[in-house]
Amino acid sequence: MARKVLLNNVEHKALRVITTRSAALGDDVMSAIVVPAEFRSVQACYPIVFQKQADTGQFLPLALFGFEARENLFLTESGWDANYIPLSIERLPFLIGGQRATQQVAPPQLVVHIDLDSPRISWTEGEPVFLEYGGTTEYLNRASALLHSLHAGLEATPAFVDALLGLDLLESFVIDIDLKDGSRNRLAGFYTVHEERLRALDGTAIVSLYARGFLEPLYMVLASTVHFRDLIDRRNRRL
Amino acid sequence: MSSQVKRVVIVGGGSAGWLTAGVIAADHRSPQAPGLEVTLVESPGVSPIGVGEGTWPSMRDTLRRIGVSETDFIRECDAAFKQGSKFVGWSRGEAEHYYHPFSLPQGYTEANLVTSWLQRHASTPYAELVSSQPQLCERGRAPKQVTTPEYAAVANYAYHLDAGKFGQFLQRHCTARLGVRHVVDHVARIEAADNGDIAALLTAAQGRIEGDLFIDCTGFASLLLGQHYGVPLHSVQPLLFNDSALAVQVPYAAADAPIASHTIATARQAGWIWDIGLQTRRGVGHVYSSAHMSDAEAESVLRNYVAEGAAAKDVASLAPRKLSFRPGYRQTLWQRNCVAVGLAAGFVEPLEASALALVEFSAAMISDQLPATRASMDIVAARFNDAFRYRWERAVEFLKLHYLLSARTDSPYWREHRTSASVPPRLAELVALWRQQPPSRYDFFRIEEIFPSASYHYVLYGMGFRPEAAAFPERPDNAALAERFFGEAAALATSMLAGLPANRALLNHLQSYRLQRI
Repeated sequence: MARKVLLNNVEHKALRVITTRSAALGDDVMSAIVVPAEFRSVQACYPIVFQKQADTGQFLPLALFGFEARENLFLTESGWDANYIPLSIERLPFLIGGQRATQQVAPPQLVVHIDLDSPRISWTEGEPVFLEYGGTTEYLNRASALLHSLHAGLEATPAFVDALLGLDLLESFVIDIDLKDGSRNRLAGFYTVHEERLRALDGTAIVSLYARGFLEPLYMVLASTVHFRDLIDRRNRRL
Repeated sequence: MSSQVKRVVIVGGGSAGWLTAGVIAADHRSPQAPGLEVTLVESPGVSPIGVGEGTWPSMRDTLRRIGVSETDFIRECDAAFKQGSKFVGWSRGEAEHYYHPFSLPQGYTEANLVTSWLQRHASTPYAELVSSQPQLCERGRAPKQVTTPEYAAVANYAYHLDAGKFGQFLQRHCTARLGVRHVVDHVARIEAADNGDIAALLTAAQGRIEGDLFIDCTGFASLLLGQHYGVPLHSVQPLLFNDSALAVQVPYAAADAPIASHTIATARQAGWIWDIGLQTRRGVGHVYSSAHMSDAEAESVLRNYVAEGAAAKDVASLAPRKLSFRPGYRQTLWQRNCVAVGLAAGFVEPLEASALALVEFSAAMISDQLPATRASMDIVAARFNDAFRYRWERAVEFLKLHYLLSARTDSPYWREHRTSASVPPRLAELVALWRQQPPSRYDFFRIEEIFPSASYHYVLYGMGFRPEAAAFPERPDNAALAERFFGEAAALATSMLAGLPANRALLNHLQSYRLQRI
């Protein structure tokens, strides 16, 4: 079980984080949640799809790294073979926690927590989190910035998804993947943007999407689908 | 005279009236082309009867057709999922039970399941061998997951609902979204045209309301078809004795008490007790024959039942609502330019929850076959009458089957239910035939049968009916095939039990999250 605790420079003064990428460090994931603000970077590397969360039934966008559970086709002997890693992966083992001030009226402060059970935690190797006298390292400053971007992105995602659903712009899809060994695999349970309906939107709807900043991420999703070819190639190369 | 049918006037604002209005308006009106004018007139202060808190899976199609969101419907109508019925005490009057689930037997159309069941699995109840659904019900599971789209099912399902809230919910949708005109006024008089049609309704405050087609949804009053046209009620009381009901609302013992995802129908000495789970309460009622039991006795039977599963203070404070009805239906449902839907057309006891289903069938056929002109209306009317006489007859026979097959001897009520005078001849003939062959599509050959032959399987074999020895011969390859389907049903049960949430858990979830439309 994850042990998530508030990060502090007393208990965790000497703590270090291993930043290399490998299955042993938990990078053997098939997908990761992405947020619209990073779609431009994500679409340069991975297909962006939507999936219903098992606990809420609500849609969230994901970057796909593989075709089955624990398959990350970007993971190689020498690390993660892509020039962008989504925020929700990059920020690990840190996470954001809400800490209420003593007065209940104040909004919760966003504070950095750390998962002490993460295989990335070390006391001997990796990036230091705190400086010798308790100050924060550049590494932690960057992780904290990632966390805040991710948090803001997750807060903004439901409005984006609702806008797509309101315009009937999501559709489910399946991809049959024929591999060079003759096997056929089916990827199902994901949703993507319905291109014809997007093209058929009237001016008012388009302007509204544009004004809310949703148009660009929408087209980023469309652009990202070219990477399915890349995923299949990566899978074939492993056969 | 071949005037166009442009104005549909529905009289009565219960669930029958609003469902019919919704289906017709959704099919024949749009903001771009208003098309038909649909008006619903209802008297102020008439409270709906509120029968029919159980539905069939067809309700999912009907609600989708009307264009409502399933999440909204569930939230606003106190609705809960229903996966079928559990019959307790019907064959011997003990605690024995069987299920009539909504899912067809696995492989129903592809193999002779009955023979394989009898030859190799006779100790397993039929429904539990051929369907995964009884297990889902026994374990209190919902028929779908939080990720299942609206109206889609993992296991086939319908709803339990609060009929009063349902009427109001449909009213809001019909008036706000479908352009149905809502007139709240007393109908003082019905104005006849020279040809015998209904020309208009004269209302107390808002004058004449003209129409081309009038739909009578006025409940037992049957204001247009029964009173104005004098079409008599064809009584089925000689076949189905129940004519009274006492209904109560029972709170759950605890806020997190399980919600049954099936109707529980428990046989009693002179009738039976329905028990349906809504989100916030149970609806429980005793339906009985007044010729066989006094109201006071019936009330004590009901209280005893409720006392088994509720706190004593809740039982003491119950105030049962009495409902009397003449079981029967009108053999002419569509007369001239007037058609009756719902209780105005007929009502037999709530067993198998056919009341709202018949409303849906009626609304769908009226809307699908809506005559464009008065001249074609008589053709449609004749077909409608034929279709619904057939459906009422089949419904009566199917309900009768539940009593006919009983082995109970503990009261005159049960014994009289098996006298030949109380059994429709067609049913007697079918039961004789079913001793040598299972119910099939040859017995129920219409496209839209009200109860499919599979329902007869569940009831027959659930009630303990067995064919004559050596009946139902098997094809040589049948055994392997049937075994495969039994295996599939068992595997489905395992995977569904692993993946489906508790019925209450899903209903609670829907208070915070919406199901997706896709």
